[in-house]
Amino acid sequence: MRKTMVGLLAGVSFAAISSLAAQAQELTILWAEWDPANYLQELVNEYQAETGVAVTVETVPWPDFQTKLFTELNAQGSAYDLVVGDSQFLGAASTGGHYVDLTEFATKHELTKTMAPATMAYYSEYPGGSGTYWSVPLEGDALGWAYRKDWFEDPAEMAAFKEKFGYDLAVPATFEQLIDIAEFFHRPDEGRYGAAIYSMNAGDAIVMGVENSIFAYGGSLGDYNTYQVTGLLNSQASIDALEDYRELFTYGPPGWGNAFFAEVNTAIAQGQVAMGMNFFAFFPALVNEATNPHAANMGFFANPPGPRGDDFAALGGQGISLISYSQNQEEAMKFLEWFVKEDTQKRWAELGGYTANAAILESEEFRKATPFNEAFFQTMFKVRDFWALPEYAELLTEAADAFYPYVVNGEGDAKTTLDTLAATWVDTLKSAGYDAK
Amino acid sequence: MAIVSTRAGRLGNRLAIAAVILVTLIFLSPIYWITSTAFKPLVLATSVPPTVVFEPTITPFVKLFTKRAQLTAPVDPAVYEAAPWWEKLIFDGGERLSRDGNGDVVFSAYPDRFVNSLIIAVTSTLLAVSLGTITAYGFSRFRVKGEADLLFFILSTRMLPPIVVAIPMFLMYRAVGLNDTHIGLIILYTAFNVSFAVWLMKGFIDEIPKEYEEAALVDGYTRMQAFFKIVLPEAATGIAATAVFCFITAWNEYAFALILTNRRAQTAPPFIPSQVGTGLQDWTVIAAGTVLFLLPVAIFTFLLRNHLLRGMSFGAIRK
Amino acid sequence: MTNLITTLDPRSRAASRGWSDTTIRNVFVIPTVVFLIVFNVFPLLYSLGFSFTDFRASSKASVNFVGFKNYIDVLADPVIWRTFSTTLWYVIVSVTGQFVVGFGLALLLNRPLPFKGLLTTLLMLPMMLSPVVVGLFWKLIYDPSWGILNHALGLGRLAWLSDANLALYAVAITDIWMWSPFVMLLSLAGLSAVPKHLYEAASIDRAGKLYTFFRITLPLVAPILLIAVIFRTMEAFKTFDIAFVMTGQPAAELISSRLYKMAFQQWQTGPSSALAYIILIMVLCITNIYVKYLNKAKER
Repeated sequence: MRKTMVGLLAGVSFAAISSLAAQAQELTILWAEWDPANYLQELVNEYQAETGVAVTVETVPWPDFQTKLFTELNAQGSAYDLVVGDSQFLGAASTGGHYVDLTEFATKHELTKTMAPATMAYYSEYPGGSGTYWSVPLEGDALGWAYRKDWFEDPAEMAAFKEKFGYDLAVPATFEQLIDIAEFFHRPDEGRYGAAIYSMNAGDAIVMGVENSIFAYGGSLGDYNTYQVTGLLNSQASIDALEDYRELFTYGPPGWGNAFFAEVNTAIAQGQVAMGMNFFAFFPALVNEATNPHAANMGFFANPPGPRGDDFAALGGQGISLISYSQNQEEAMKFLEWFVKEDTQKRWAELGGYTANAAILESEEFRKATPFNEAFFQTMFKVRDFWALPEYAELLTEAADAFYPYVVNGEGDAKTTLDTLAATWVDTLKSAGYDAK
Repeated sequence: MAIVSTRAGRLGNRLAIAAVILVTLIFLSPIYWITSTAFKPLVLATSVPPTVVFEPTITPFVKLFTKRAQLTAPVDPAVYEAAPWWEKLIFDGGERLSRDGNGDVVFSAYPDRFVNSLIIAVTSTLLAVSLGTITAYGFSRFRVKGEADLLFFILSTRMLPPIVVAIPMFLMYRAVGLNDTHIGLIILYTAFNVSFAVWLMKGFIDEIPKEYEEAALVDGYTRMQAFFKIVLPEAATGIAATAVFCFITAWNEYAFALILTNRRAQTAPPFIPSQVGTGLQDWTVIAAGTVLFLLPVAIFTFLLRNHLLRGMSFGAIRK
Repeated sequence: MTNLITTLDPRSRAASRGWSDTTIRNVFVIPTVVFLIVFNVFPLLYSLGFSFTDFRASSKASVNFVGFKNYIDVLADPVIWRTFSTTLWYVIVSVTGQFVVGFGLALLLNRPLPFKGLLTTLLMLPMMLSPVVVGLFWKLIYDPSWGILNHALGLGRLAWLSDANLALYAVAITDIWMWSPFVMLLSLAGLSAVPKHLYEAASIDRAGKLYTFFRITLPLVAPILLIAVIFRTMEAFKTFDIAFVMTGQPAAELISSRLYKMAFQQWQTGPSSALAYIILIMVLCITNIYVKYLNKAKER
């Protein structure tokens, strides 16, 4: 129906302006507006110096990123040649025919060997386990924690902590310890709070935070291959994780019900909290004296294991994909070939990008380069991700709508929240044609 | 009420003036806060407790016009010393300037977007006001079949949340090649504004006595001459008021600018709020962009201020 | 379009010279109407088509006709009903607030004042800002930790935007701040056009201030106040940017935000088009009632 309508409109079009002829010497990459995009622009400048092909990284605000991208893709627009897209976009973009299949490219360059396994599995492969690849992992990312070293290492605090909890105050070895520490430092009278976590009911904010706990506790959001949700999403492990996430939320600064990455970093930089959960991509600001007065006192750790010994963290990050409607596909492929070279990946890491190249990640040089790279390295080998189905956005908003009233407003209980969400998800998946249980 | 002669009246008048000043100050305080944020170092923009007194800096404005990236290593002191003052401000803020392949500093998109905004808002305002005025004249002076229904239809085009038509609009624009063009946004904003313009101008033209034109016609003017020489000057106040409102709407439109345009024709509103560095919303740059962007529309309004007070009557006042 | 053309206006006398009145009328009126039809009716028909299908703008899957299923689903969704009632309450609070503040300001300003033009321009500054920017900065202002509002008013750490009971009012306050000047401007235009001789007559009759206000001022400015209320009601119904940027509290979720989520985050193009039509019909009905009142008020 849509095609006929477009045809009809084209027929009665009031101005027949033909699209400009494709210019081969230019490539445009779409990404969201943040520092890694600035680093990428610096990297592609070097490509221009080498080859003469001008590459522009065009950015849109994060909250509008997927709206902008999919509006463009759905209309089969050729304004962008490449996109650095979220892992969850894969299902919609690949089944929609918007991305070019890069399996051959991945095989040729042995990406499954050179890139960290999780990054290929989550940023590139769709459907899971199919061996079909749609992107080149570009910016690795996951949730990690920042903490105040000076508070943790204060002898008086250490003694008081030992007194109260019976073990030494240190980087938490488990999620239970993390909650103890948050409770310990939560002193509203002194203007100090325990932990800053994600709570915003927009985009993927609160869902990322909750899933991070669910994964660590050994729970899951469902089986991405069999579409089983019931019994997995609302397992006891998930229920415990959600309850503890709510508890952790209460150790946040006052009115903490509207927080995402910027708010978490602000709370840390303003000396409000002992610990903060954030994506690794946002940590450079915390070790920069100009943006964080407490930069010298910052420490970082990977998401701790849950009470049952499971050890996972939530994945962020993006892969770069070739858009089917690009009129410069050949040029774009050449660019990707340049991008996956080890030298380029090394340069990318130097500029501030989070490479997904396994060899570089494992190198001493990378792991020592910043105070958080070691934690990043550890995390990238234990990550899990959200659903990547074309319907991921429905599942995401439904999850946010379910988690927010419980976590922020304290309405209902964790079990009911997850039972209800499981039923909602099964309905949504079923009506989308999956054999969900 | 308007006659103030008694002592109580004078006192009332003074109280009213005091109240006006007080309310104006309250209304302006958020604007003051935005403006002061535009002159703060980033750390002070979100300090706890908020910082009211501080040493102003113009770093946010330098940042607004440049492309930057977070420093990942300390700056080489020799490089720092050799840098011009404005680059030093960037270094002090923990960032480095992005450079292109030739080593030249890269400007941010802000100046281009600003110019796009000017072109698009000014042209669409001119179009909306012109169309609105002649249409209002048509409705006011001639008998049009189904006039009330047509006017209601014109009004109704403003009732739908515009995002609803965003997808069809995008498909239409792509089909005819209007996406990412200035003309595309100009036409769209004209469409948004023309209903408001028709309603405002119709009220105004209704108030201009028909006898003026009748007299001109008797004197040998054609209807068109009468319209241009008699009606338009009489309607100047209404036109000015309409123009201010159309300009404000076109100047600040966000959603369609974001969806329908890319690099070539995008306006400033989608650019301004997108200043997110590495994990910190750069409030100071957003504030700087906002303050500069407020200036043209504030000046325009100020120049037409006297017309505004009389021009917003919608013809709803009985004489 | 030709059926718009009706009998010649009997007043036309200049038909022989230059363009005839009929031509002028057609040239003046028809382009705008056609223009608005192309830019509003076309996309609307497009959306109407979508609303009866399971079309997802994000997928190339075949599109099926589903009849009224989308309408039924949307109307059966309790979340939609919650956002509807939230929006209705929001519109009432916000428009009433704008009316009271705006008309109040106009009454204060309606007297000889030094720098009146400057004052008016300054008061209009809020509505000259982009709504997204307004939402962002009010979020900064409301923040319980680093916001200036609580600090300046000594409200401690009141959680404006993340408190389920406060969030909607916090958004409404912002909207009132932004748009009261619009009501003020229209009211001022109305007040300043009230003929002075009516007040003089009232003062000779030794009429009380309240009597003068309710019997002379209010009836005369009522039509323009209604117009202000019509425009603000229509706009408040559409409020999206401000609320969406400021808070995620379900208790403050407006129908436009829900619509945006459905259309652009979940890409449920079919159901969201159906919802859009339901909203349009509601706003049409409300506006229609207003316009009837307006015509009555004008005739009085």
